[in-house]
Amino acid sequence: MKRGTASVRVGLVAGVVSLCLVAVLLTMGGVPGTQAAPTKVLYVGITLPLTGADAEDAELIKDGALLAIEEANAKGGVAGYRIEPIILDNGTATAGQYDPAQAAVNARKLVANLGVVANIGPQMSGSGKAMAPILSEGDLATITPSSTNPDITDPKFAAQYRPKGKAIYFRTVTTDAYQGPNMANFYAEKLHVKSVYILDDSGAYGVGMANAFEKRAQQKGIKVLGHDQLNPKEADYTTILTKIKGMNPDAIYYGGVAQAGTKLAKQAYDVIPKVIKGGGDGVVGGSFLKGAGFPAAEGWYGTIAAPHITENPAAQPLVKRFVKRWGKQPDDYSFTAYDAALVIFDAIKRVVASGKPVNRHTVRDAIQTTHLQTIQGEISFDQNGDLKNKVISVFQIRFNKEYPPDDPLHQYHYIGVAPQE
Amino acid sequence: MTFRDILLQQVINGLSLGAMYSLLALGFTMVYGIIELINFAHFNVFMVGSFIAMWVLEALGLSGQSRILTGWPLASVLAVAFGITMLACGVLGIVIERTALRPMRHVPGTAAMITTIGVSYILFNIILLSTGAITLNYPNPMPSMAWHIGKAVLRLREVLLWGVSLGLMVILHLFVRRTKLGKAMRATAQDQEAARMMGVEVDHVIMLTFFIGSALAGAAGLIFGLYYNFTSFLIGYTAGLRAFTAAVLGGIGNIVGAMVGGLIIGLIESVGGQLLQVRWTDVIIFSILIAVLVFRPTGLLGLSAPQKS
Repeated sequence: MKRGTASVRVGLVAGVVSLCLVAVLLTMGGVPGTQAAPTKVLYVGITLPLTGADAEDAELIKDGALLAIEEANAKGGVAGYRIEPIILDNGTATAGQYDPAQAAVNARKLVANLGVVANIGPQMSGSGKAMAPILSEGDLATITPSSTNPDITDPKFAAQYRPKGKAIYFRTVTTDAYQGPNMANFYAEKLHVKSVYILDDSGAYGVGMANAFEKRAQQKGIKVLGHDQLNPKEADYTTILTKIKGMNPDAIYYGGVAQAGTKLAKQAYDVIPKVIKGGGDGVVGGSFLKGAGFPAAEGWYGTIAAPHITENPAAQPLVKRFVKRWGKQPDDYSFTAYDAALVIFDAIKRVVASGKPVNRHTVRDAIQTTHLQTIQGEISFDQNGDLKNKVISVFQIRFNKEYPPDDPLHQYHYIGVAPQE
Repeated sequence: MTFRDILLQQVINGLSLGAMYSLLALGFTMVYGIIELINFAHFNVFMVGSFIAMWVLEALGLSGQSRILTGWPLASVLAVAFGITMLACGVLGIVIERTALRPMRHVPGTAAMITTIGVSYILFNIILLSTGAITLNYPNPMPSMAWHIGKAVLRLREVLLWGVSLGLMVILHLFVRRTKLGKAMRATAQDQEAARMMGVEVDHVIMLTFFIGSALAGAAGLIFGLYYNFTSFLIGYTAGLRAFTAAVLGGIGNIVGAMVGGLIIGLIESVGGQLLQVRWTDVIIFSILIAVLVFRPTGLLGLSAPQKS
């Protein structure tokens, strides 16, 4: 017993001493030259699947958000506050890609930390569905730069995804309620597809996309020959592709992310090389290019749920800053993430200007009333958190041998905006 | 394509899958036959094998599917890749046995099996952390030669897959049946104690079993890469589980049973996917497994064939 108390005491003393040391070091570090830097700190979460098959694209999103934060801090912070990112990994090795269970854990962590005023992420809708109810309970707003499943913000599912009523899931992209159907319009009107076979990867995002595509395809008079589900952990898709070959469709449409998508692309190239192939934003990005490789990736169509930014002349200074800071090319979701950070900063500024205390509740309310001009156009949200501006951009992979085969900026050829009803 | 062509194509696909499952199932069944241990590390020895083979192919100057070889260069590149991969995986198998499983051998209960699960996760995480998590494009020097049978297509890679698998299985069968070491293996499988009394070095035999099983997993890993043109740290799980099912279906411990079981699982997967939907694949496979085990608890070909000879 005695020994126990003694060691506890020693531990306490050591703890206090080290705390003092840290405090002294901090104040010393704070004095010279950095007086202008704000000492008040606000935390912004960044939750992305940085482990697993989605990591490549998640990194680009993270880099976009971090760039915005670094630039804001370099200019003296946001309304007197320094912004500190808290980066949490939504992916796990066991899942091999984004893991909704881990996303839920991360959401709880963020809610528990009262310094966090808002979050950027998640990348994936499956994670979003797990995070939304927790964030709603905590009244903590998140802005997703890429997750597009419409259910999360649909008032029909409000009891499930925002039990507290207020919108907490905002997007700087539009949803699959437009991405899937507009691609079906593109298939019918521009590619003149008469028959299609639909596949999804059994994830929340993939199933939603594929279903939305299917519905519109039927309305447009495209014959849907079938709709089957791929297991993303499975290696072999030749069975389903052989079956599709037997039906002889004009096109296939794939709703899902890169993990199943890359394998599908490889094997589809062998089995049904001449069939038109396309998907959503799951097949747009470096992960898809790197995994599928050329020639298998050649000719695939993909969409993103945002305007095409990286080749927009007005965005070039921003692209240059990104390349200079990170040494790699951004993709469009790097900039929807950049915009997500700007929306949060703008909200903080307006809260400070109004004289209210800056916390997650006031910041959420301010995000709701955003009217911000960014590189993608005006950002403002409806009462569910969805972006009012709805643009779906279509791309096709065309190998450009002057650039590395996994460079998304140069291997995706921008076709245009998908037709909207 | 007529329905007959499609069915023929699915049989070709299924036999290819089945050949790979068979090679993998052999490792499970051999180890089980000798020390009655289900070795879950085998899943990921297969996965590591596909990575080792990828590094060998890259060291030989291949990348992606851009450089195509034919004739002798192709044969020698493949021979070197198979040789190094099988050797490296065999040694990995011995290391696993020696460091993790031998100390567990006399511990009763499921401790050894749980240890193999742990080893499996260690291998999985080593590859994940050292190569990253994305799906990797596989270097493949094989020309895209193909033969047409009606509208069905038989590609060179399928022929190679069948040839290599069949060759390795015949060699294994002859080894176990005709050589002295094979006899020692069969003796150990029947009764370790008696075998030891007869002068069989039981420890060596067990090591040899792990070596052969793991080397076959390595070969399967290379074949996997050449067949699908990709690899990732995740491939061990699904293929391993199917192969394990194949071993149980054929009768675990029975070498011929593993080969037959693998082919049956492969065919069920492809033909079942054709007739129903692919999302039901696992349901079909495991329903058939359960049905077989209910009526023949020892699997299709019965337990441990070595005991009968």
